[in-house]
Amino acid sequence: MTKITSLNQLLNLQDQIIEQKRDDISTQSFRGWGQDKFAPQALKEDQELDAPRGKEIRVVLRNCTLIDPESLDDYITQDGYQALATVLEQQTPEEVIEIIGKSGLRGRGGAGFPTAKKWELTRNNPENPKYIICNADEGDPGAFMNRRVLEGDPHSVLEGMAIAAYAIGAEQGYVYCRAEYPIAVRTLMNAIQQAQDYGILGKNILGSDFSFNIELRMGAGAFVCGEETALIASIEGKRGEPRPRPPFPAVSGLWGKPTSINNVETFANIPQIILTGPEWFASMGTEKSKGTKTFALAGDVNHTGLIEVPLGITLREIVYDVGEGIKKNKGLKAIQTGGPMGGCIPASMIDLPVDYESLAAAGSMMGSGGMIVMDEDTCMVDIARFFMEFNKEESCGKCTPCRVGTYSMLEILNRICKGEGIDGDIEELERLSKVTRIHSLCGLGQGAPNPVISTIKHFREEYEAHIYEKRCPAKVCSALIRYEIMIDKCTGCTFCAKNCPTGAITGERRKPHEIDQVTCIQCGICFQTCNFNAIEILPGKAQLVGEHS
Amino acid sequence: MIQITINGQQYEVPEGKTLLSVAHDIGVNIPSLCDHPDLTPHGGCRLCDVEVKGLRNPVAACTLPVSANMEVFTETEDLEVARKTILELLLVNYNGPLAIENGKTNYFLKLCRQYHVNVQQKMRIEPKYLVDSDPNPFIRVDLNECILCTRCIRACAEIQGRFVWGLANRGIENQIIAGSGVPLLQARCESCGACVDYCPTGALSHKPSYGALNAEKKVQTTCSYCGVGCNFDLNVKDDEVVKITPNPNALVNGKHLCVKGRYGYKFINHPDRLKRPKVRQYLLEQGQQKPIEIGPWVEVDWETALTIVAKKLIQIKKESGPDSIGLLTSAKCTNEENYLMNKLSRQVIGTHNIDHCARLCHSSTVAGLAMSYGSGAMSNTVEDIVEHAESIFIIGSNTTEQHPIIGSKIRQAVLRRNVKLIVADPRKIDIADFSSIYLRQKPGTDVALINGLMHIILKNNWQDQTFIDERCENFEEFRATLEDYTPKMVSSLTGISEQDLLKTAETMATQKPMAVFWAMGITQHSTGVLNVLTLANLQMLLGNMGIKGGGVNPLRGQNNVQGACDMGGLPNVFPGYQSVTNPDFIDKFSIAWQTKYSDGLPDNVLTTKPGLTSTEMVPMAGEGKVRALYIMGENPIATDPDVNHTRKCLQACEFIVLQEIFPSETSEFADVLLPGVSFAEKDGTFTNTERRVQLIRQAITPKGAAKPDWEIISAIANKILQLEKRVFVGKHARWDYQNASQIMQEVAALTPSYAGITHERLVNGESLHWPVKDLQHPGTPILHIGSFTRGKGKFHPTEHIDPKEMPDDEFPLLLTTGRVLYHWHAGEMTRRASELLEVYPAAYIEIHPEDAIKYNIKPNQQITLNSRRGTTKGKALVTDRVSPGLVFANFHFPGEQNTNNLTLAALDPIAKIPEYKVCAVNLSSD
Repeated sequence: MTKITSLNQLLNLQDQIIEQKRDDISTQSFRGWGQDKFAPQALKEDQELDAPRGKEIRVVLRNCTLIDPESLDDYITQDGYQALATVLEQQTPEEVIEIIGKSGLRGRGGAGFPTAKKWELTRNNPENPKYIICNADEGDPGAFMNRRVLEGDPHSVLEGMAIAAYAIGAEQGYVYCRAEYPIAVRTLMNAIQQAQDYGILGKNILGSDFSFNIELRMGAGAFVCGEETALIASIEGKRGEPRPRPPFPAVSGLWGKPTSINNVETFANIPQIILTGPEWFASMGTEKSKGTKTFALAGDVNHTGLIEVPLGITLREIVYDVGEGIKKNKGLKAIQTGGPMGGCIPASMIDLPVDYESLAAAGSMMGSGGMIVMDEDTCMVDIARFFMEFNKEESCGKCTPCRVGTYSMLEILNRICKGEGIDGDIEELERLSKVTRIHSLCGLGQGAPNPVISTIKHFREEYEAHIYEKRCPAKVCSALIRYEIMIDKCTGCTFCAKNCPTGAITGERRKPHEIDQVTCIQCGICFQTCNFNAIEILPGKAQLVGEHS
Repeated sequence: MIQITINGQQYEVPEGKTLLSVAHDIGVNIPSLCDHPDLTPHGGCRLCDVEVKGLRNPVAACTLPVSANMEVFTETEDLEVARKTILELLLVNYNGPLAIENGKTNYFLKLCRQYHVNVQQKMRIEPKYLVDSDPNPFIRVDLNECILCTRCIRACAEIQGRFVWGLANRGIENQIIAGSGVPLLQARCESCGACVDYCPTGALSHKPSYGALNAEKKVQTTCSYCGVGCNFDLNVKDDEVVKITPNPNALVNGKHLCVKGRYGYKFINHPDRLKRPKVRQYLLEQGQQKPIEIGPWVEVDWETALTIVAKKLIQIKKESGPDSIGLLTSAKCTNEENYLMNKLSRQVIGTHNIDHCARLCHSSTVAGLAMSYGSGAMSNTVEDIVEHAESIFIIGSNTTEQHPIIGSKIRQAVLRRNVKLIVADPRKIDIADFSSIYLRQKPGTDVALINGLMHIILKNNWQDQTFIDERCENFEEFRATLEDYTPKMVSSLTGISEQDLLKTAETMATQKPMAVFWAMGITQHSTGVLNVLTLANLQMLLGNMGIKGGGVNPLRGQNNVQGACDMGGLPNVFPGYQSVTNPDFIDKFSIAWQTKYSDGLPDNVLTTKPGLTSTEMVPMAGEGKVRALYIMGENPIATDPDVNHTRKCLQACEFIVLQEIFPSETSEFADVLLPGVSFAEKDGTFTNTERRVQLIRQAITPKGAAKPDWEIISAIANKILQLEKRVFVGKHARWDYQNASQIMQEVAALTPSYAGITHERLVNGESLHWPVKDLQHPGTPILHIGSFTRGKGKFHPTEHIDPKEMPDDEFPLLLTTGRVLYHWHAGEMTRRASELLEVYPAAYIEIHPEDAIKYNIKPNQQITLNSRRGTTKGKALVTDRVSPGLVFANFHFPGEQNTNNLTLAALDPIAKIPEYKVCAVNLSSD
């Protein structure tokens, strides 16, 4: 393979490949540089990434499903590496940073720090060498935005990294990808190799004076390694634990050298900003939040999967236009954004615009793109418990508030869900939340109480029902519900009695049956198996003989 | 300096420090558990969180660098609540006694009390972990009291450089573990106890003193094990040493100690201690005829014992002359005592036949460096080297085991400053783990190795020609001899690849200054002096002498072997290396000690002929030419080479006086046993390997009727003089010492290098490295600045010579000998410190896995080594620390376990040091 040594050569190559592949790609014409190329395409879509709906627009995901991720040639047909070649031939690093600055791009890992600012800080640090790191340690439960980009369009990330490296003055980059993404890892390794073969990575890339290479490092399953200082420690071969900032990585990062860490999605945006111009990018979104954002839409909506929407879109537009409404036409209760450290936004705030500031003001956060829609049957205490369980499991344990705070809060939430909540539990949760949020070392601990804080804020009455009335209003917490047979609907078919694992259901054939509340373990099998909808769930613990409430 | 405001008060503080350390310095108390000034900041416990104006959330003071005009609040209502909450959170997994003092201070419980936390109510009810879960006899582990501050992890990594402790699991399941969850000793713990000292709770405690109450008094003193000269506090209760605690004012070691220094104190109060003088039965009988079987001991009073000793020595002196008496002084005793032994020998008895164990360890260093530079001591200080050296070359020193504190400081230098470490040793010793280059030379090829490196340096013109031209002599002659030492030739002799030789030479030439450390691996050869001369050549060639971070640094073994040499405990020099062959010095001491003019007895006139070395004295005792030996604190039966021969010699000796604290193996052959005392029972000074003179202080009263050794020597001298009816009146001739300080005054008056040393200056905390020329002189941390002691440094051409006894068909293995971390020399002290013995209970013989297969030996199996001179038994330690064909054994255990049954008394022709490091053996399994 001859190496590509100029932008012109790259453009010629693009023409050649298109010529060769005309038949394969005849379904789409070559799209010139311009806005229309982001018009959603509906090809080979799948369960994860379906045909676009509503206000969806695809910048980050534009090539996903359209090109063969294993083929650099395919990427070149989609203007691949033209941004890098342009930058290397026509722009100074300072100009690159200026363009990204004008675009208003902010970190897509969730914190929303202006990307250009981060690069500038790293560039201006006199220390050398410098490093660029791609954070591909996507760990939020149910989130797969980055995986999809890595699996579907790895070169867009590599190109973004190379441009960033040029801008900050780094010659070495690392992609830190979680090992639980074997396909992404394989695709990346292949892409790095191809780029090296084409002279796009390595010494004097694309014929310029600039040399840059990328190594892949795999994570070992710790969620906290998505935190930038923990990620750096992990690359250095140490235990993946965060360290206090300052100093920020721009000052002292990998091996103590200036380092810029950006998310997969941030990098994937870079080539398009260069090619299409910062003004185009800035035309999308709100005043402070520009461009698009990908979300993994999940939960009780009809259309789940990966979506990419312009920032500033309202939650309502996401849930009802893109998500096509709540399943079974049930009522919306809340939307959880920001991953396990995010918060629950109640249905009453459905018209909230989705941007960094609005979400934070609502007690949640942008995060990397998890979005869970919850219908009226959701128990908010149980949701808080679920996320706290995750955060407790993933706390690295370095700082006291996160290590023990998450554990203690989970203990209380478990108790409440089991119907053993006591007076003062809510206040204790609030106290622990505050200390954990304020005094934890890194974002994990600081964000860990968010599910509790936001649910207490918006759904305090549910907590009170659990604690004082021993009742789960959403009828989810098994210890706080009871199953009863409606005599008028029961046909006495005995099906439920046969399936009951504890023998709690008795009754004569063809006569209404009865559930013995002492023996019942609230497993719900009778409810699921009854063909006559004769079993109902009632909130509140069964009053047992001799028990005082 | 910058301005900051703390709690409304303005302060001027230095830049570049953390807020917590600045606050601590100016007396603002911020609570903290994970931070310690000696360790890198961690930021984990979050107790030191403070509010800083302009910052949204509180920040940890321990990791926050101060910046100009920073406005800080350390005590707000929110912080108070948060701190209390954090302490309560820490109690969630905490379970332990409520006592704040339990052998050590529990700072965590102290803080809980301060913040009004109800510990009993908030603490975990059931212990989560096994209490006292680790079998290490020194370190008590109770993870139920662990608050995961990770100070132990950092202390082990950053202070000791051992990386034993680590963290397992995540989050609430976090747990401190040793290695990958194994007992400490299996995780290569060196039992230094640093982790315990830094632990703020009772999770780690010192097992030997666990639960002990506070001491009545603490007495700062100098350790009596190795030559590093660590200081610490003896904790005394009921006139017993109950534990040893670090003293932050210690000049050499700061708060760091090693396992022997910290935990090896139980010998002081061991029941075996000698408490009364003893003589053999026959000495109390008419005619004092020595039977063939030496006969039983009889306890006597001091007067009887002293009279017997004095009379016998006078009689032998009269019959056979003073040179028929030999004295072995002691590197374990103080400078003052060694000075008195020297005075007793030369003034009272009239012989230069005085020597001590330096003969067996660094006599070749003293001789070699004196020839090259004019002074035979370590040229630089440890602190200087670890702070300023760019590279360190360790050859023939198992530093981390034999000089543990220096070893850990070298590790720190590698970790903190990235100093390039070159280790050359036939065994892959622990410090080799930290080396940039490790060279495994064949035993006995050191001259060839270093000559080969110098050959490469000269071929590449890497030498410091200016230094050589200006400060050295005999360069051309020396240069010519190096011609033959081509990489090819040296590689075949040493077994080191040409590539490694080149890399090493280049590192030495480019990473300057370089300091050289060595110990017995260089000196204990029949070519010991040649080895030392060659290293001296190397440092001159590179211009590494008389500068910071360079120098020649022989690590002295015994606590006061430097001082025993300094004090004239050698047959050829008076105190301060004033040679007996120089008539001027004979005159000087004859006048001071009044041996020439006033005493009138012809047999006491000092001669210019040096006396016998210890390695000559003992064989001559066997031949009857030396009729009496006065041995203080030495154990030749264990430590001499070829001890079977030594045994025969001592058996044949007519009269042996042994002054000891324990009935050592040598006591079997003694006629009189005088009970001396340990370092805890007397005052005086030790001189460490860096020529630093330090105090030891009496902490407890002597056991039984035992007396400080200086008192015993004085009593013997006075008794002899009294019986001989000699009277000394001169200021420095008399023997009426009231205390050790008085003796030091006499030393200072007669010894130019000690002229400015007084106990008073040392009490005041002055750091004094000799030469200290007068009372105002600050001492000399670095020798040979500007010019060498002898004027010009002299290059000595040296040639490789094979060791005296090499393996052959009958004895196919090469034996090299040494010591281990947990024991000290012949083991008289360490085998009486129960915990040390528990860790290392018997002699182990290191053997390479290939040889183990060859001889069908399993780990821990009992094996026997045989040489032409004797046999040794021990357990096989199968390890690749040794190379195939090489076995390693120690001399810490008595009788048939002693490796000196095997060793060879082949002596260096100049220094008379025996070749302990090489002899041929064969192996049989039992």
